[in-house]
Amino acid sequence: MAEPPLAQNGSKSGPGSVKSGKSKGGSARSKSKGKDGVPSPVTTAKDNPSADPRTMRRIIAEDPEWSLATVPLLTDLCIVHIVNNFEHNPLLDELKPKHRAKVLEKISTNIPLKVTAHLISDEGYWQRCCKARWDICDVSQYGGSWKRMYFERNLEHIIEHFVPERTNMDVVTDVLPLSGEYIKRLNIKQLLPPIKEETKKDDDTSETGSELGDGPEVDHFEFGPVFEKLPHLEEFGVTYGVKDCGMNFEWNLFQFTTRDCLLISKAVKSCKTLQKFHLCRSKVDDDKVRVLISHLLDHPSLTELDLSHNMIGDSGARAAGKLINRSRVVKMNLCDNKIGAPGALAIGHAVSKNTTLKCLDLRLNRLGDDGGQAICKALLKNSTLTDLNIGSNNMTEPTASILSQVLTTNTTIRTINLSCNRVGPDGGKQLQEGMEENSTVLEMDLRLTEAGQESEYCINQILKKNREDDRQLRLQNEKNKQSS
Amino acid sequence: MSTNGDEEETGPSTDSADPQERVEARRLRIARRVEARKRQEMGVDPDAKKDVKEELSKSRKQIEESRQRLTKLKTDGTELVTNVEVAGDSRESQRRLEEEELRRQRTERLEAEAKASAEKFEDVTKKWDSARRYQIPQDLHELLMQQRAACDQMIDEKNKLVNDLQQELKTKDDQYVKDLKKQAEDVDLMIERMEEQIKNLTKSYREELTQIDKAFEAERGELLEGNRKKWNQTMQTRTEKEVEYLKLREKRVEEYEQQLQHLRVQDAEEYNMVKIKLETDVQILEQQLQQMRATYQLNQEKLEYNFQVLKKRDEENTITKSQQKRKITRLQDVLNNLKVKLAKQEKQYKEENQGLTDDYKRITEQYQELQKKFKHFQSTDSRKFREIWMMNEAEAKDLVHRVLEADRIIHEQQLGLPFYQPDLWFMENEGPIVPRQMQGAKLSAMEVVQKVMSDQGVGPGGATIDEEEEIQEEGETMSMAGSQGSLASDKEQAEPQETTVMAKLTPGTIKQILELLCDESGFLVESKLNKLLAPLERDERSLMKLDAIFGALAIETEDDVHLLAQYFVKPKAAPLPHDAESAGPTPAPTERTDQPTSEAGEEGEEGSFIGSEEEELQFMMEEKESVKTTKSEVPELIHPNDIFKALRTFVNEHRQQQKKERRASSMKFVLGEERDDSQDEGYWRAMGGIIPEKKERLWSALLEGFDKYSRTLDERAKLITDTDALRQQNAELRMLLHQYVNSKVNGELEIPPTKVLQLEFSENQQQTA
Repeated sequence: MAEPPLAQNGSKSGPGSVKSGKSKGGSARSKSKGKDGVPSPVTTAKDNPSADPRTMRRIIAEDPEWSLATVPLLTDLCIVHIVNNFEHNPLLDELKPKHRAKVLEKISTNIPLKVTAHLISDEGYWQRCCKARWDICDVSQYGGSWKRMYFERNLEHIIEHFVPERTNMDVVTDVLPLSGEYIKRLNIKQLLPPIKEETKKDDDTSETGSELGDGPEVDHFEFGPVFEKLPHLEEFGVTYGVKDCGMNFEWNLFQFTTRDCLLISKAVKSCKTLQKFHLCRSKVDDDKVRVLISHLLDHPSLTELDLSHNMIGDSGARAAGKLINRSRVVKMNLCDNKIGAPGALAIGHAVSKNTTLKCLDLRLNRLGDDGGQAICKALLKNSTLTDLNIGSNNMTEPTASILSQVLTTNTTIRTINLSCNRVGPDGGKQLQEGMEENSTVLEMDLRLTEAGQESEYCINQILKKNREDDRQLRLQNEKNKQSS
Repeated sequence: MSTNGDEEETGPSTDSADPQERVEARRLRIARRVEARKRQEMGVDPDAKKDVKEELSKSRKQIEESRQRLTKLKTDGTELVTNVEVAGDSRESQRRLEEEELRRQRTERLEAEAKASAEKFEDVTKKWDSARRYQIPQDLHELLMQQRAACDQMIDEKNKLVNDLQQELKTKDDQYVKDLKKQAEDVDLMIERMEEQIKNLTKSYREELTQIDKAFEAERGELLEGNRKKWNQTMQTRTEKEVEYLKLREKRVEEYEQQLQHLRVQDAEEYNMVKIKLETDVQILEQQLQQMRATYQLNQEKLEYNFQVLKKRDEENTITKSQQKRKITRLQDVLNNLKVKLAKQEKQYKEENQGLTDDYKRITEQYQELQKKFKHFQSTDSRKFREIWMMNEAEAKDLVHRVLEADRIIHEQQLGLPFYQPDLWFMENEGPIVPRQMQGAKLSAMEVVQKVMSDQGVGPGGATIDEEEEIQEEGETMSMAGSQGSLASDKEQAEPQETTVMAKLTPGTIKQILELLCDESGFLVESKLNKLLAPLERDERSLMKLDAIFGALAIETEDDVHLLAQYFVKPKAAPLPHDAESAGPTPAPTERTDQPTSEAGEEGEEGSFIGSEEEELQFMMEEKESVKTTKSEVPELIHPNDIFKALRTFVNEHRQQQKKERRASSMKFVLGEERDDSQDEGYWRAMGGIIPEKKERLWSALLEGFDKYSRTLDERAKLITDTDALRQQNAELRMLLHQYVNSKVNGELEIPPTKVLQLEFSENQQQTA
């Protein structure tokens, strides 16, 4: 705050009286600073004796506080100038490191990306940018890189507010070349449907949605061209739907058309660097999931697939089972779908032969006892799966009896979630018996299973012991590593 | 349900702090006791360890406790939070199940309704068909009314269903709103719980941290206290000990001072004494020093001189060394040069050698060729020589005949003396004169042997008699032939040789030797031969054996036999052949003087290389023989066991001789055809000297006489011819005159020429007259 008045002060004093004026001004300012902190240039100009030509040349020699140091350095002035004109004439790499730091501290966060994107790599600047734009900034989710965070969120914001056939495509294409290098993850939380009627407003999406009514199929934003420009994209999540619609609900807002499906499938297939793909809450039904998975088969890098909160049925589950053995998928999330016993059979068959899959989430499906038994039988043969979630699947005692067998034989599984399945006290007993012979399972969720308090307590004790053992083991491993 | 979860979770979380801690504390205590018991069981050894562990364990224990509590808290907290989710899930699944059930009911209802309405519709449509039959309008109206009622009923039912469904929809809408609210509540609850959780966790974390801090501090305080106590104790002991030491030290110092005093007094006395003694010593030593100095100076000078000399020598040595070095380098250079030269020369000589060997080969070839040519030419030459000889001889003989004839004529006819035929021995000769020596062949070894062996029965004396007779006979023949010339004398040459051979050793000894040889050296005979010889007589067998042995030993001539015999005589009788040979030359000259007289007297210089060599051998043998004869008449033969040795020595030496002979034979080949032409001159001279000088003088005198005689005769002959010619002239002239006179012309002339002629003639006659 102290600098700009100084510059103004300097520029205001006439060219003829630069020397004395400055010295006096400096002294005066220092005095005023000492008194009330922030000096007003106007008042200083008024108080300044140099303004009066008669007293201009008088030098107060006794002034003990006067010093040359108060005169701003030329470098400081230059830096101020550079900062002010950074948008038009960006100078950064030519500066010395300490000057560069100063410039980076001061330049505005509103400078267009076109200028800053490739020029500035300083995290401090991007931190300022992020903080200026968003309230909540968790940099740990972005690998500790503020710049990455800024660009990813920026692009997400643009795509989330992109209205097909209305918004100019340039908005996206302008940003892509600038940010392509820094983006590793895209998590699109909503996609707006195109607007049919001219009267609709652009900004209020919820209103447009409500007034559209049950119209014909509408296609969403196309990702193909975006993916081409993102060479480092590793994680991609998308939801074909509108966020926070509240009471303005319209079916139309949540439509995932066949064309959308085809386009996104092709885009994902073409993106060879992609590792994680999330397609949640998008009303993906059997046909679409089959189209999608047919494109994902043999993808070179895909390790995580999330299709939760969709409408995948048995045939879709069959396709998913096929995908498990024809890709490198390690984690598959199919929670909250409509998979029944036949689908579970298919998935179980795939898992029994698989050696890559580690996490499988089938929460909130309709597997039933048949499906649950199929999955558990698969676990008897499988030796790679570590996490399994089959909560809320309408299972009962028979599944628990097979699962107890699994617990005695399988030594790789770590986490089992059986919550919200009516196992009953007998099932709980069986599970307890299974657990007593097991030493690897670390977590087992038996909430709302009516398994009986006694068995639940016993199982929890065993789990605790297993966890302690595991911790000891890990500590030892770490020590060994350190010592080696 | 969520409330249920709440109760489950809140119960332990709020109240738990105390009981859990209590339980854990108890548990730990139990564990510790168990551990202690175990250690006691194990023995005393791990006591030290135990102490350490217990000391450490206070803070560790606290950490562990805190960790367990915190994990418990955390798991509980997360469970609490996730409970909401689980409850929601279970509600949702419940709802879905109900929804399914409802849907099923709904579809059932719809289907039932559809069926019922379809039936009704069927009825209605049937009735429409029957309506056509109605003729009466009232009936028709009634029917129509009925139909309308039925349709209305149907529609009502449908509407009712629609209303029901709409009602349901409304309730669902309400449900949705409620659900939304519930969700919001849930979310709020979750947030609340999360916040609570965070608060609880931070609080408990902080608490645990302070407790851990406290534990650490307490531990540290204890440690400090303990250490300080220890420190103080040790300090106390130290100060005590120091005081003790001080006292001890003081006592000791006093003691030492007394001792020192005592020692000082003693030493002062000693010192004085020693001082005096040393002073005297010093004086003596100074004197010695002076002396030493003098000698030193002397030595120094000497040494300096020596040093100078050595220096000089050293310099000289260095100079010579450098010279030697230089020389060495120079010689090295020379050596190198020479080496190079040597290599070069070796190379050169090799090349030269190669060339020379080539040349040699070429020359030997040429030489062989030349020899061939030479042989050829020799033969041709000898042939030519012989032819020419024959021709000249024939011519000479012819001339001799003619001369003798002429001489005879001269003697008989001219001189009228009786003619004596001169000695014409050379006329017998035909062809070139051949040296007689060649004809005399040597006796072969076998012959000698045979002879010796055949003499078996007869005593040694008999043999000599025979030979004497032979000699006599031959002597007679020689004397008979002596008139003819020296031709027969050649035969004598063989005779003495034979005699000498036989004389060398008595035939008896030789025979003995041969028998010995025959018996002992059977290994030289082939086994086959032995088998073949088995049926033969003893003599013949031994003969054949000897033949084979001689063949094996390469003994061919009689000389060889005798030579062999020499080896069989005992060394006592005959010294080793080697010695004999060396001793040979000294007596040789004396005999050599004899030799030419007896042996080579006739031969003259005919002794060729072969001859001389043979002679030498003979000398040797003779000499040995002479020795033998002088020493012992009957030579003792060696033991049969030594025969082998003797044979070996013989073979060794004999082989050398043979080699020599072979070389000599090759030489003979070169010179062998050399003709002996010493007799030729005599021969030809004899031919030329057929007319002695006296006769020639006679002949020349005769020639002179005859010349004169012939001259007169020639003159006479000439005169005769002259007269003859004149006579003829006269006759011819007479003829001419007659013609002129008788011619008619004459008549016609006034003066006839005849008359002139007559006149002239008459005048001439008158003149002559």
